[in-house]
This record gives sequence, C-alpha cells and structure tokens, in this order.
Amino acid sequence: MSLVDRQEDVKETSAPRRTPGLAAALPGLLILFSIGLIVFAERVAPGFASASNLMQLLKLASFLGLVALGQTVVMLVGGIDLSLAWVLTASAVLFTSICLGQDANLPLAAAAAIAIGVLSGLVNGFGIVKLRIAPIIMTLAMNNVMLGATLVYTGGNPGGGISPFIRAVATGSIAGIPWMVVLWAVVAFCAIVAIRYSRWGRRLLAVGENSRVSFLSGINNDAIVIGAYVFSGIMASVTGILFAAFSGASFLGMGDQFLLPAIAAVVLGGTSMFGGRGGYGGTVAAVFFATILSTVLVIGSISAGMRNVIFGVAVLAAVIAQKLLARGEDQSM
Amino acid sequence: MSAIAVPRRLIGDRWSAIVFAVLLTLLILLKGRFTAFDLRSLCVAALQLALIALGQYLIILTRGIDLSLGPIASVSGAVMAIVIAGNPALGLMLPVAFGLCAGLLNGVLVVGIGLPPIIVTLATMSIWQGAALMVLPDPGGSVPSFYQAFFIGGFSSPYIGLVSLLAWGGIVSWVLSTRFGLNLRAIGGDELAAEMSGVRVRGVKITAYTLGGLLAAIGGMYMAISMSSGSPTVGDGYILTSIAAVVVGGVPLVGGRGSPLAVVMGALILTITASLLFFAEVSSFYQSLIDGCILLLVAGSAGARDFIRGLVRK
Repeated sequence: MSLVDRQEDVKETSAPRRTPGLAAALPGLLILFSIGLIVFAERVAPGFASASNLMQLLKLASFLGLVALGQTVVMLVGGIDLSLAWVLTASAVLFTSICLGQDANLPLAAAAAIAIGVLSGLVNGFGIVKLRIAPIIMTLAMNNVMLGATLVYTGGNPGGGISPFIRAVATGSIAGIPWMVVLWAVVAFCAIVAIRYSRWGRRLLAVGENSRVSFLSGINNDAIVIGAYVFSGIMASVTGILFAAFSGASFLGMGDQFLLPAIAAVVLGGTSMFGGRGGYGGTVAAVFFATILSTVLVIGSISAGMRNVIFGVAVLAAVIAQKLLARGEDQSM
Repeated sequence: MSAIAVPRRLIGDRWSAIVFAVLLTLLILLKGRFTAFDLRSLCVAALQLALIALGQYLIILTRGIDLSLGPIASVSGAVMAIVIAGNPALGLMLPVAFGLCAGLLNGVLVVGIGLPPIIVTLATMSIWQGAALMVLPDPGGSVPSFYQAFFIGGFSSPYIGLVSLLAWGGIVSWVLSTRFGLNLRAIGGDELAAEMSGVRVRGVKITAYTLGGLLAAIGGMYMAISMSSGSPTVGDGYILTSIAAVVVGGVPLVGGRGSPLAVVMGALILTITASLLFFAEVSSFYQSLIDGCILLLVAGSAGARDFIRGLVRK
C-alpha cells in the first residue's frame, strides 16, 4: 500500500490540478481480491496457499509481468504495442536457433534476439513519430511483419535448443525462491523507482500527459516516444528468451497468449490508455490478480469457455469500478 | 473541413480500386485463366471479411475501435449452425438478434459509462470467445446446403457472391447517406462541433456500435453458410484483420472520412493477396509479411511524403 501512497505524491507534483482520490486505490483492491482468491482456493484445494505453490504462481506471473512492463511504458506515453506477441516469438525462435543448446553460444544468441526487439521498437517508434502512423496500426503491421518473417525463417518448424544456463535461470530456484521471481522483483523495483523518480520517468509521464507542453518545456518528445517502443521491444525479446527456456523450446505463436492479458493488466493497474498517469506498481498487482484468477479457475475445473467469460467479466468489472471510483475527478479516462 | 475531405475521399476510393485492379490483373496473368469458380471463391472469402470490416468501419468513424467483432461472428455462426437445421426462422433471427445485443452492450459500456473502447471490447472479446466455446465446444452443427445455394451460390455460380459483396457495400453506403450517417461523419470529423450543432452524439455512437455488432453477426452467418457448419474460433482471425481491411481501404483512424466501398476494396485486396501468393508459387508463409507491408504502405504514405519533404527542405 505504501507504493500506492507514493504514487499519489508523484501525481500531485506532476499534475497538481488532479486529485488521485480513490482510483489510485484500485491496485490495492486487486491485491485484496487476490488474497481473497487465495484464501478461497486454500479451502477448496488445501495446499494452494503453501509457500512453494505461491512461488510457482509468482514464477508463472513473472513472464506476463515482464511483457506488461514494456506495455506499461508504451501506454504511459499514450501509445499501445500490439507487436509484442510476435516480437516475443521471433526473438525466442532466433534465440534457440543460434543457441543450439550450448552455453557457449548464449551471448551471441541473446544479443541477436534482443536486437530484434531493439530493431522492431525503432521501426515502430519511427513510424509513429516521424510518419505519424497511428500506434495501433503501426504495431499491428509490425506484428504481421514479425509473424511472416518468423514463418519464413523457420519454414514453420522452429528448431535449435536452449542452453543449460538459461534453462536453470528460467526454471531453477535459490533457497526456495525461483530465479525468475528474483529477477522479476529486481526489475519491478527498478522500474517502479525509475518511472516515478528518474528524469526519464518524469519525461515519460510529461510526454504522455501533454506532448505540446512537454515539447515546449524542452523535452525531446520524439526520442522519449521512440525510446518507449524500443524498451517495449527489448522486454518482449527478453521474455521470449526466458519463456522459451521455461517451456524447453521455442514454438510458433508462443507470444499470442501474452498480448491481450498484458494490455488488460496495464489498464487494470490504473495506467491511463491516454498516457501521462499510472506506473508499474499497479500493473504488477493486476498481473498477480490475473494469474491467480486463471489458476483458481483451472483448479476449480471450470471449462475453457467459462474461464474466458469470467476473465472478460472481471476485466469489465475492474474498469467500471475504476471509473466509478474516479468519478468527480478531472479524469481523462 | 468538407472541402478538403471530399477530394481526399475520392482519391482514397480510387487508390484502393487501382491497387485491387493491378492485383487482379497479376492474378489472371499468373494463373492464365480466371474461372467462375475463382471469382466465387474470391467474393465469398472477401464477403466474410468485408462485413466485419464494414462494422469496424462504422465504429472507427466514431473514433472508436472494436476488438470483439470477430468473436461476435463466431458466436453468431455457432448459434446458426446449431439451430437452423431444426428451426430455420429461429436460425436466421437468433444470430441477428445476438449481434444487435452484443453491439449494443459495447455501445452502452463505451458511450454510456465512458470507458475506453479498446479495453471494453477486449473484455467483451474474451466473453464472446468463451461463449462461443460454451455454445459449440468443437466445430460442428450443420447448415443445410440449400442456404449456400441461396445466399452465396453454388460452386460454379459466381454472381450471387459478387452481388452480395456489392450489395452489402451499397447498403452501408445508403446507411451513411441517411441523417444518421451524416451525424456519424460529423462526430468523426469533430465531436464537439457536432454536439454544438444539435447532433445527439451519444445516441449516434451507440447506434454505430450496435450496427457494427449486427454486421459482424451477419459476417459470422456467412462463415457458417460457406463452411456448412459452425466453428467456435472462426472469427478470431478477423479481430485485427478487420481493422487492417479498413485501413487498407484508405480510411484514416481519426476523422469521419472514407467510404464503405473503399472498405470492401480493402477486404478484396487482403483476400486476393492469398490467392496471388498461391499462384505465384510463393510460400503462404509470406502472407502476413506482405499484409503487414501493405498496411504500412497505406498508413504511412502521407506521413512519409511529408517526412521526405521536411528532409529536403532542411
């Protein structure tokens, strides 16, 4: 909850005419809901709330959490990234095909995979900033291009393999805590601090809040926006590498399952789709909630169809709650 | 505004028609012939995309977006395939009624409560995807072959498909020429100005979402008719492609511009590239690569011109 309090402070300094009010409490509510779900699941399936099971849940959540960080940053500048699904897959496929199961090939493979994220982010940013293509169209097209390129490159059959080291990172643990959870915690801490307190974070929020004012205040808007898309691309690539390592191989379409949940998590976490307000703390809470909800539904042997319906209704309920809590404020959503 | 918008719209129309004509000529040259069967396949495939894209187009005119149209089509096709063999009247009416209700729900959530369209329709997308799986867990059901002959024509009769495609484009054009259509365009152009001139903005926007749901449901019915059965996931491929078809038709995502016939052209262009690749003996793996490039070319052309001009001036 202290994270939420601090968020209020920053909002007051960056946009004093707005009072954050109850809307900022939504991430806290999501955490409460998540705890409620865990308590409920423990009754239905004893052992659910055990430390080791919760760690497994966090490990599952970490992949979505990392992708959603990129999406958060892009949405903070008022954009959206639909390309992360196949940037993730393309990076994973290239990674395994260069790595070939050898630790020796790891640096080259990781560099090549991350280069895909950087390149696609640069092109996305260039198209959006310089060619004034709508972000949704630009990144949709990039998603198609990456999909086609991956199919052509692999011929439909991704090959290669992951190396022991990266496999250990994605699946192993230290003192009962999975390495992925440690990694996610470190990344999340850095991201939350950087978005709220660093010069870069303040510029992100300023550009998203009002690009004209930020431009007149001497901020290089174009560089900030392009940088956001590059960052999102890198996060997708890194997640692709780690998720391939977790799954034991890269496979076509592995990124699709992350695309819409990532957008939902960012919005549920309280980041405005129009930019300028929000942060990663809320996204983390929403990722927890989404992961625990879907796990509980699976344990409750709810059919896949019903799970989709419940997920949709939960997203709707959360945005409506957000809207109602924000009523009376000068709220751009 | 309108003085600028009209010529641009005409150019937009011609642009997509010219590209389609070039692609069609290429296809005929590559194949050496263009039979009635080819024309039928092209029209029927494009018809399904065009209907959903026309629905998307009405919503894009309000500066909104709808990610739930594909799954709405899935549910409507699944319901039709289950019901129609037993009860033809209900089999035709139920999907239509569902489309209207699903569209209305989106409209009420977006306009009535004031939530962002992308997140509302993301949620309803998930709901209808789930509903389709609950209605019809596996592809199945059946649509008697009579409906295929009646609505899209037999395998060697191309004209019903072609006429339907043009007719749906014409119907939406007509809708846009009514008072409602005029108001819709006005809202897309400048919402505040429209409201000041007495347009009931909320009502018009909700109607646009409702009609979008209806058109998507009709698209789903055509899918069920052409497959003679239902599938719970058939609409998923149209979620983003319907947006792409609108953009390839030359409709900008902001402002009340573009025409329904251009959207139909957009659907035809995205459909014909698949057959073109097949006959050029290029792997179908290139399909989405090429679709992505077409999308970028269309969406980026105006910006690229200005960007290059800017560079030259420097």
